[in-house]
Amino acid sequence: MITLSFFSDLFTESFMQRAFFAGIMLGVLAPLIGSIVVIRRLSFIADTLGHFSLVGVSLSLFLTFSLGNTLFADKPLYLGIIFSVVGGLLIEMFRRYYKSYKEISMPIVMSLGTAVSAIFFSLSNKVGSLFNYLFGSILTVTDYYIVVIAVTALVVIVLYLIFVRQIISVSFEEGNAKFLGINLGVFQLIFIIVLSVVVSILLEAAGVLLISSMMIIPVAAAMKVGWSYRSTTIISILFSELSVFLGLWVSYSFDIPSGAAIVSVEILILVAVAVIRKMSIANQKKRSKPDAGSDFR
Amino acid sequence: MLIDINNLTFAYGHKLVLHDLSLTIHSGDFVVVSGRNGTGKSTLVKCLLGMNPVPNGVIFFNHEDINYFKNWTEIGYVPQKFDDFNYEFPITVSEILSVSKLRRTKESLKLKLLDDMGILENMNDSINSLSGGQIQRVFIVRAMLNQPRLLIFDEPTASIDRKNVEYFRKTVNKLHAQGVTIILISHEQTLEDLDYTHELHLDTNLDYAYAARPPLPETEDIA
Repeated sequence: MITLSFFSDLFTESFMQRAFFAGIMLGVLAPLIGSIVVIRRLSFIADTLGHFSLVGVSLSLFLTFSLGNTLFADKPLYLGIIFSVVGGLLIEMFRRYYKSYKEISMPIVMSLGTAVSAIFFSLSNKVGSLFNYLFGSILTVTDYYIVVIAVTALVVIVLYLIFVRQIISVSFEEGNAKFLGINLGVFQLIFIIVLSVVVSILLEAAGVLLISSMMIIPVAAAMKVGWSYRSTTIISILFSELSVFLGLWVSYSFDIPSGAAIVSVEILILVAVAVIRKMSIANQKKRSKPDAGSDFR
Repeated sequence: MLIDINNLTFAYGHKLVLHDLSLTIHSGDFVVVSGRNGTGKSTLVKCLLGMNPVPNGVIFFNHEDINYFKNWTEIGYVPQKFDDFNYEFPITVSEILSVSKLRRTKESLKLKLLDDMGILENMNDSINSLSGGQIQRVFIVRAMLNQPRLLIFDEPTASIDRKNVEYFRKTVNKLHAQGVTIILISHEQTLEDLDYTHELHLDTNLDYAYAARPPLPETEDIA
């Protein structure tokens, strides 16, 4: 049953405060980057990078297991970020190699990431911890993680505000970038690096399987109600924050994985938006139709 | 903008599309590229836009080899179709134009261009709600915002909307009168309503003819 002690714990329990803060950051970061991903029709990229980031996490666990207490003990995020960036660069490399079949790059990099990380998880006897990385666990994030996600959010938001013109221009139409004086190659490289870092940081809170959902679903819902780029982006962030809040509440109440709860709320919002929109269109049509009997009066 | 093309030959795989094409376009010229389908009109434009690779020493903009040319903002391009643009995501006309003018052009220029094109009242409309002709005009305004020295147009075909083609042609004439160098790919049989200065006619057998427009016969004053 939904419990109201969630609100009192939010003010008293430090783990709840950390989860809430991480959730707020995640609620901005995911749809902000997600909107660019959606416009550029790269929805599978977050999934792919998440899987490749897992190689870094599993390698970190393996190094800790085989070499003892190393630099990477308790901090699998370091290698996660590095491997996510490597995965991003590999995708870009394959996209340029298979120019007419750019989407091929995703399954190649994703399967490589899945295979290698499965090997390292198995070699480090940590198959059990795989669940946390697959589905995320925002309720167990550390102070260190809060600092990392806050710094990342700040950097991403500042970069976004500075380069929003270039971002929109290239996202909506790559071919026109040159005539606006934008170096497409450099733009792609910076975008893929920023995206890779964000994905690997979201990994811990959202989980490999749910990162892309958090990036895409609020944007998909907002697209159907927004009337401009700006309004759509703001609505997607509002949907995302609402989902984080309600998802955390549900997760706390029923003791279910937080990532799964947040994504379920996002799906509910998406469905609600679709239903309300359909009803309002039907109502408009009804109103615009002349009264059936009026001709006979 | 001065454009020099020296012995341009281009093939898709083994299929030769352009052969040994040479011409010079001077600043202020209005060149119409005509010819039947498959004669290489679009291929030529793609070469000029750097989308089709050409070897060094073939195309020059203001004496600078296209492969080393950097000032692409001096060129505006309005394609025939806008298939590459992602329409489904909401974006208003004003947003498209505000993100396009990377060099902060005056707001007054944007408003004047929109007014000239007859789409000022659509400024806050979503691009999805506009007709094909209106979308075309939005992209002409976008191309004009950087105040380019060369504009390259791929004319919409008449089958789409006769009225819009007429409007489009009037606009191109007006831009040429303002001193902009123009290259226009025409898919129409008639060229009379265009104020072009030169015609490049591409033939199916890889031949081409490039000539200045013959002077119009003077109408006799009967009265």
